[in-house]
Amino acid sequence: MTAEPAKLDVSLQEHEEKQEWWWIAEKKRSKRLDYLRKAVWKKGALGGNYAPGIKVDLEGPKLFTDMWKWWKFDPIIMRRAKALAHVFDNIPIFITDHSQLVGYWGSAPHTISWRVDGASIVNEELYNEPGIMPEPEEESLRKVAEINDYWAGQTAVDKVARILDPEDAVKFLSGAIGWGAPTSAYGYSGKNYEYYLKGERGFEDIIADIEDHIAEAEEKTIGVPGPDILHIYDRIQNWEAMILVLEAAIRFAKRYARLARTMAEHLETDEKRKEELLRIAETCERVPAKAPRNLQESFQMDLLIQTMSRFEASEGAWPARPDYYHGPFYEKDVLQDKSLTEEEATDLIGEFMIRAYEVGGFGPRWAREGMQGITGTWVWTIGGVKPDGSDACNALTTAFLRTARLIRVSNPTFAFRWHPKVSDEVMRECFECIRHGLGYPSFRNDPILVANCMNWHGHPVEEARTWVHQACMSPCPTTKNGVQPFRMASATANCAKMVEYALHNGYDHVVGMQMGPQTGDARTFTDFEQLFDAWTQQMQWLLSLLVRTVNLGRYKDPEFYGRPFLSGITERAVERGIDAVSPEGERGNCWITAFTWVENADSLAAVKKLVFDDKKYTMDQLITALETNWDGYEQMRLDFVNKAPKWGNDDDYVDDIMLRCLRTMAKHSKVMRCTSNNTWPAAPQNVSGNIHYSSVVGALPNGRRLGDALYDGGISPGPGLDKKGPTAVLKSCGKIDHVADGRAFLLNQRLSPTQMAGEKGYQLWRAYMRTWADLGLDHIQFNMVSDKTLRAAQKDPEKYQEVIVRVAGYSAHFVDISRKTQDNIIQRTIQGI
Amino acid sequence: MKCPECSYEAPVPEFRYLYNVRIDAPLTLRQCPQCQAWLSVDELAGESTGKVEAGDAPWGKSAGIERDLEEAV
Amino acid sequence: MSTCSDCKSFFPREDEPGKGDCVRRVVDPRQAYYTTRPKNPEEDASGCGEFRKR
Ligand code: SF4
Ligand SMILES: [Zn+2]
Repeated sequence: MTAEPAKLDVSLQEHEEKQEWWWIAEKKRSKRLDYLRKAVWKKGALGGNYAPGIKVDLEGPKLFTDMWKWWKFDPIIMRRAKALAHVFDNIPIFITDHSQLVGYWGSAPHTISWRVDGASIVNEELYNEPGIMPEPEEESLRKVAEINDYWAGQTAVDKVARILDPEDAVKFLSGAIGWGAPTSAYGYSGKNYEYYLKGERGFEDIIADIEDHIAEAEEKTIGVPGPDILHIYDRIQNWEAMILVLEAAIRFAKRYARLARTMAEHLETDEKRKEELLRIAETCERVPAKAPRNLQESFQMDLLIQTMSRFEASEGAWPARPDYYHGPFYEKDVLQDKSLTEEEATDLIGEFMIRAYEVGGFGPRWAREGMQGITGTWVWTIGGVKPDGSDACNALTTAFLRTARLIRVSNPTFAFRWHPKVSDEVMRECFECIRHGLGYPSFRNDPILVANCMNWHGHPVEEARTWVHQACMSPCPTTKNGVQPFRMASATANCAKMVEYALHNGYDHVVGMQMGPQTGDARTFTDFEQLFDAWTQQMQWLLSLLVRTVNLGRYKDPEFYGRPFLSGITERAVERGIDAVSPEGERGNCWITAFTWVENADSLAAVKKLVFDDKKYTMDQLITALETNWDGYEQMRLDFVNKAPKWGNDDDYVDDIMLRCLRTMAKHSKVMRCTSNNTWPAAPQNVSGNIHYSSVVGALPNGRRLGDALYDGGISPGPGLDKKGPTAVLKSCGKIDHVADGRAFLLNQRLSPTQMAGEKGYQLWRAYMRTWADLGLDHIQFNMVSDKTLRAAQKDPEKYQEVIVRVAGYSAHFVDISRKTQDNIIQRTIQGI
Repeated sequence: MKCPECSYEAPVPEFRYLYNVRIDAPLTLRQCPQCQAWLSVDELAGESTGKVEAGDAPWGKSAGIERDLEEAV
Repeated sequence: MSTCSDCKSFFPREDEPGKGDCVRRVVDPRQAYYTTRPKNPEEDASGCGEFRKR
């Protein structure tokens, strides 16, 4: 197997010269994949709006709400189990022509699901969304109103908001300092793959185990009376809810089997398709009830579980490690038994990715702007090591990478766990994906991140080595005590506010209210230490507020929301009879997503240099200029940009400030504790918060104005500010201790497609990656699309529908993101390496 | 400042500030309150340098190797 | 009165007497597919615009 394309005909070669990789993909993929890829209704909003034809699904919400109302005397976990079972039994399902894998979160391919019981403020947004109501619109609006009237004040977020400290609640909900919702209704649920995706058990096995636990527990409830048996009654309820929903899940799969059989026996005339449909039927009769036996069953089981989890909660992430868990089946089917050809397997792999690509739930406008072009962060982990430390790459790792170039979806993307034993063949496949402009895989430094997992959360090494991306960046083991069932996005901090508030005595001029503590009038500061003290207090206040909110949300979630399905696939919950979200027995794996981080270092350094060291300007002048958004102070603004050292140039002046900020924050990360009494390390990165917050963060001493995009990465230098070349960038970033200073650090770099062409390009890149690894960086990702292509795509979006770019922690189709984000990407420095 | 599209004249801050993706340059994007055109503005001179359409590159090529190569030619 | 059981799209379930599914073909602007939802054979079909006599 080789990464170099086979003999190309002339037109393919032309496309290759012009780097029009999307045309090449279209010509090289199978007819089936071509059909399925084009059949997808794109759910990611285009710069904020849903594409024409996308409709909100009202079938699921109605079924769910009806049954929820009916069982009003049940405990919440049982109520959800019954409502969910009703959805599984009744929601319309479908099988697309040519497809071989089934399962969709919605009632038709063009629908987006709506989580009715998550947050009233999201429900209200439905009225503000033109065009997404199914026809007849009037009837749909009536249905929506009926559902909204019922849920108003009763959703998970409503319940949390009522018990939050009122001041915390107002500040949190202002949207200025962070985002998210403290509930598992919109969670990033880690999956306990070590429990259910190793081909060792199906739902029937889990149900049998639960029945044993119930029998044992019931013995106790008729035994000696005493306080130690009282908690058992609740556990029995939890177990019964798990069984109820797991049984419904098996029936859900069997509905697909029945549909496939009906199609094969009554509706389909093509013999080959009939055979495929019967295989779908056999597959869905088998999984998830029983353990999978082959690649199709393994993929199908995974996909159905992901789909069903989303019916339970709008999961905004898709933690996965597909090559590791499905790889043994690929090797068995393709390499040993030869029951599948490589081409047939490619069709399955491609469709597996397409099925994930088409998934999307309804999100309010602010959430869509924060994640332009996609519907969630499906960052799939590949590569890495096995629990014994040996190389985990297998034939499916390269098969996924090759197939990604044929499918060219922007979601899922891959993140590759690099380690010193990775073969050259695998690295070439990774590089080909980047060369084809996909922007993925991103690279993660496995030895560093395994050490990081152990350092911050005390995961034992064998468990740490199972890690997957729980969302964009942060690692999480897939083991019984290591997997984190709940991580909603509200511990997501808009960090630029730390320095902004330090300069304005905690007052937020953009939202117009006192937010942070009053740390003093910065006009009166006479040395840098005073400013840094103020910054430290603002940082501690901001992070603590967010973490308090998340902790409370998590603590109350089993009471306010309830996850019977997730519990049924989580070993810790099955064993103990608890809601998976309960922290009981979980080690803890929390992190703070630190958006808009680097501005802190660049801003503090600029003040130190120009005000306190060079005394070129006074604090008074600076604050005045910031308050006018630098209007009328252009020369002064340029001085703050160009006459003060900037992060990413291997300049200790500013790099030391960066380290001091990180280490001060890391110290606080150990003070704050999660519900498992573990730490809260920060992971600087941006998703596309750098754009979302551009109209929320005021003017800063690094030279930005209110309105400007913030820097794109977690530790990437500002666009165009990394003037000393790629090695200086790596050196600055290498000063950070990627094990102890935080949880993960996102670095975006742009490379030149011209320079990276051919074998020479690959060798240059390999050498660069060696430096990256030697310096101990934990992450890097690349864009390799030229200015020319991107400008052409801006001018003529219709012709460049398939150009993909790395935005921040994710990829998106370039034409789906706003002009500001596009310009921000184009102005990133193209590093010659 | 005068809008090159509709000739509307007003002090620079009255043209709605959009953004500057290269904060090391004095060039910003602002919007004319009268004709809504997107304008590139030289903030030092206080003058618009022209209307900006889709695909235009007011800041020129991105920094780094491609620009270096171009400048070397 | 016509009921779903009189309709070509209705398929009774072999293993669950008295229950059935309405299976229909849909061609939308992007893809073609078969869709199904559970149906009671006795359900009144007079209001259904998709009814096709067996
Ligand atoms: S619902 Fe309509 S289309 Fe479906 S079986 Fe009944 S009558 Fe036929
Ligand atoms: Zn004008």
